[in-house]
Amino acid sequence: MATMPASASDLLKSFKLKTKQQELLIRVSILCLVYILAFITRLFSVLRYESMIHEFDPYFNYRTTLYLTENGFYDFWNWFDYESWYPLGRIVGGTLYPGLMVTAVLIYRILRFLRFAVHIREVCVLTAPFFASNTTLVAYFFGKEIWDSGAGLVAAILIAICPGYISRSVAGSYDNEGVAIFALLFTFYVFVKAVNTGSLAWSLASAFGYFYMVSAWGGYVFIINLIPLYVLVLLITGRYSMRLYVAYNCMYILGMLLAMQIRFVGFQHVQSGEHMAVMGVFFLMQVFYFLDWVKHMLSDTKLFQAFLRITVTCAVAVGGIALGLGMVSGYISPWTGRFYSLLDPTYAKDHIPIIASVSEHQPTAWSSFMFDFHILLFLFPAGLYFCFKRLSDATIFIVMYGLTSMYFAGVMVRLILVATPAVCLISAIAVSATVKNLTVLLRSKNKVVQTGSTKGSGGSKSSSKALLDQSQPFQKNGAIALLFGAFYLLSRYATHCTWVTSEAYSSPSIVLAARGAHGNRVIFDDYREAYFWLRQNTPQDAKVMSWWDYGYQITAMGNRTVIVDNNTWNNTHIATVGRAMSSYEDEAIEIIRSLDVDYVLVVFGGVTGYSSDDINKFLWMVRIGGGVFPVIKEPDYLVNGEYRVDKGAAPKMLNCLMYKLCYYRFGEMLTEYGKPPGYDRARGVEIGNKDVKLEHLEEAFTTSNWIVRIYRVKPPNNRCPHNVETPVVTHLGDVFPNGSNIHGQSGTCNPQNLGVCLDLLGLVDVNLGNAPTKPCCSLIEGLVDLEGAVCLCTAVRANVLGIHINLSISLSLLLRNCERKVATEYICGP
Amino acid sequence: MAAHFFTLSIITLSLFVVASSGELESELVADLLTLQSESKSGVIHLDDRTVSKFLTYPRIPRPYSFLIFFDAANFHDKPELRLRELRREFEIVASSFITNHNSSNTKLFFGDIEFRESQSSFQLFGVNSLPHVRLVGPTAKSLKDDSDVMDQGDFSRLAESMAEFVESRTKLTVGPIHRPPVLSKMQLGLITALLLLCLPLVAKRIFAGETLIHDPKIWLSGAVFVYFFSVSGAMHNIIRKMPMFLVDRNDPNKLVFFYQGSGMQLGAEGFAVGFLYTVVGLLLAVVTHVLVYVKDATAKRLAMLFTLLVSFWAVKKVILLDNWKTGYGIHGFWPSSWN
Repeated sequence: MATMPASASDLLKSFKLKTKQQELLIRVSILCLVYILAFITRLFSVLRYESMIHEFDPYFNYRTTLYLTENGFYDFWNWFDYESWYPLGRIVGGTLYPGLMVTAVLIYRILRFLRFAVHIREVCVLTAPFFASNTTLVAYFFGKEIWDSGAGLVAAILIAICPGYISRSVAGSYDNEGVAIFALLFTFYVFVKAVNTGSLAWSLASAFGYFYMVSAWGGYVFIINLIPLYVLVLLITGRYSMRLYVAYNCMYILGMLLAMQIRFVGFQHVQSGEHMAVMGVFFLMQVFYFLDWVKHMLSDTKLFQAFLRITVTCAVAVGGIALGLGMVSGYISPWTGRFYSLLDPTYAKDHIPIIASVSEHQPTAWSSFMFDFHILLFLFPAGLYFCFKRLSDATIFIVMYGLTSMYFAGVMVRLILVATPAVCLISAIAVSATVKNLTVLLRSKNKVVQTGSTKGSGGSKSSSKALLDQSQPFQKNGAIALLFGAFYLLSRYATHCTWVTSEAYSSPSIVLAARGAHGNRVIFDDYREAYFWLRQNTPQDAKVMSWWDYGYQITAMGNRTVIVDNNTWNNTHIATVGRAMSSYEDEAIEIIRSLDVDYVLVVFGGVTGYSSDDINKFLWMVRIGGGVFPVIKEPDYLVNGEYRVDKGAAPKMLNCLMYKLCYYRFGEMLTEYGKPPGYDRARGVEIGNKDVKLEHLEEAFTTSNWIVRIYRVKPPNNRCPHNVETPVVTHLGDVFPNGSNIHGQSGTCNPQNLGVCLDLLGLVDVNLGNAPTKPCCSLIEGLVDLEGAVCLCTAVRANVLGIHINLSISLSLLLRNCERKVATEYICGP
Repeated sequence: MAAHFFTLSIITLSLFVVASSGELESELVADLLTLQSESKSGVIHLDDRTVSKFLTYPRIPRPYSFLIFFDAANFHDKPELRLRELRREFEIVASSFITNHNSSNTKLFFGDIEFRESQSSFQLFGVNSLPHVRLVGPTAKSLKDDSDVMDQGDFSRLAESMAEFVESRTKLTVGPIHRPPVLSKMQLGLITALLLLCLPLVAKRIFAGETLIHDPKIWLSGAVFVYFFSVSGAMHNIIRKMPMFLVDRNDPNKLVFFYQGSGMQLGAEGFAVGFLYTVVGLLLAVVTHVLVYVKDATAKRLAMLFTLLVSFWAVKKVILLDNWKTGYGIHGFWPSSWN
């Protein structure tokens, strides 16, 4: 804050002291308002639902934070968690980024010390909005550093409500990104400051900023690659300076040493291929410095040229050889798939389906950019132009940050988050410079031909505008109109952001909301009902088996041991659970007993019509199970390649454990008026096996809307020899001619499986009926949304050969009927 | 005597028949070998006539198996079918098989059939979907029912999995797959040498500060391009292999350029919107930085007016398109009396 009055005085040299004070007052109050605004706009989720943790991963973060508050840092650091991945456990301290938890606990301790009696949950819920507020402050200072304080203010305002950032920082989304974006921007700001000043203190600060970032989020890899890239660009554009040397070296060495203190990162800075760029640039920097020194010592330019050539060639050769040796000897690990997929975006799709299948990793369409940035997109090129007109070390940095992050945002939807600060800053430059020009125009007493101060485009612009003023009498009216236009646009931006925050980004996804028949809101709170039941009605050491999606929530809210959870590090273990779920009860009970399971939890949407339940995820369980245990074959669960649960379903499907657990007692239930009992609303069919009988499990609890069902594993009968080797129905593996062959890859498109859908598409007009398309839904369920669509299209295309060559079909309606998100729409080509 | 003669003649006759059929078979194989050597990749191009000659007509068991790729030239431009790619892989398998056996293996031949010119063969095999690869074994009587179809899964790893399919069904070894290298060794060596030669020169010029990279205009246009590339969703189009436009389902003469539904876009649509984004931003920059230096007042006014109109139109268009595409009705939370 100390620098603020100083530069303010620079800016407003011509004004009297009193005006300067007014300006300061206005600026500080704007900043305060922005600070508050950034906080309260993120409270929509608390207003609409309640103060709670959202989604899946935040529950793990919350649980570890709770542990940290109760047991202290050293216990946390050495924590071996017995409650997850039973019987393996998880070394928590060494497998997480502790920054978020430590921050929350620190805030909690401070509040406690100040005698505020808060619960740690409230702190966790509000951590993300609090850090978002802090980010606005950093954005202000950053904007001030690269342009002027006006741009800083605008940047703060823009980033406070930008949907791209809000999506990850609403109250309750207690995830790493919440604090990491603050850390990212702070590191960048301090580094740019260090480059501008060449001060050791600032570079030290950037090293610590980097340390905080490393401790908070895996996205630190972006920093550690962007900064050397930036330095490299400065070097080749001939902007090498002593300031840069000091800033970079100090930041790199200290930052690296500090980052090694985080156990999860460890020695990666010297060993992993992703961190090699920064090291290479570090050595290049030394070469530059050395050359500079030699140039200083040698007077003969010709000699120096020769020397230069030899040194550069040698340095590059040595670097290349070292890298090659490191790679070959295995000392330097190669790039990870995730990193590689950013550089070559098509890589993931071909080689690592597990990365490509995550919905956050889909490539971005223009409408997503529009949704998250709105008018900032229009301002961005203008801002780029402004930056290029006034090139400095700082503007080069922001341009590079903007462009690289923009590129990455195009590759993966979730990286829009990283691009947001840069887009806000660059757009802020455009807004601020334009508005400033216009207001200067309005305020200028006419006919002052300024002598064009050459420094900074602001000065040259105002001078040219002044020239303009002379020649055009309507200039002022035009400027007023333009100003109104600009403010209209900005107000649209504010409207858009508020609406998006309130309607799209505030849903906690653990409490489901639906619209009732009369437009009223219906809340399904079944998840928490079930987890609290577990907590209160089961023995302390009970083990709960469920699909991995619910692992974090069960341990955090139910406080019970789970077999698998969202930290999917052990595929075999997950496959074991998948196998148990897809076997007959007799076979499954063997696995269940071997895992010491006491309760089995399934999520079922047949009553409410909730479509992302376990039956719809079931094919994934089969595939993952089958990937490790070839006993499980996907075709056994399909009929002619179709996944169905009604009377025509495969016998193995109708008798597997998952089916039984989901549909137990469902056959006698009336779900919808005018439909037979046992009508599954999520899939729109009457179930095929209404008489489900359980032998080794018994129903323990079903929530009020049947979304979560919990079963108790019965203890073994005394001395009663089990006849485990009599499956109820014989295998039908060979009956299906077009058996889909998945080759270990879950989610492979098999157009032949979709034959039945095609008949539907050919016969039924998808625009009219939605019921017949339901059976197809299950088929594409396992695939990533888009792959599903493409797969269907391929099937359509392939089968019509010679019959209807020019058939093109809108699959969007089909997919919409499958209750996929809007993101799944697609039209087949002809 | 007559009986003797009769027996003898039968024996001779049957011997003759056996000999002639053996001769016929060897003739067929020789024909196939010539055809194979004529083709560049070793894939024999079959049509209705040759299918009957080599597959329908010969006596069972035939002395060879046939692996047939069903091709349709008019579907080559459909990226989802991957016909071109699969065909290339098929050719690689064929040429690898032939080189690994020194062109002397007569047990397995590779062939392809084109849809347009050999429709009756397609019917004969009962092929109604593509991509389709079929192995006709020596004992297959009915081409439709007795031949093995290659599964979707066998395409998944391209040439390697196709070779595995062949090996598992025919008990023949295909051997290692020979892929043509991306760059020949000669080219690689040349490129390395050139790079090494250029390195000192480039370094020198960089130090002297007189290359293109010191020109901000180049950087600026590069930056704007990267921006355009990202926001137009070009990456989306590349990864998803989206077509530029579609043909309207109801009216085949109409083209669909804009696709309703967020998270998905067509190629042309993305570029159009990206262009609108870029135009507005650049116009703003031009107005503030270039237009002010124009001397002529009328020209200036006209340019200004033009800029205003274009920007207004572009922004309005994009916002309308976005609302239409995503289906979101974005509205402010004003007091309800205001609306």
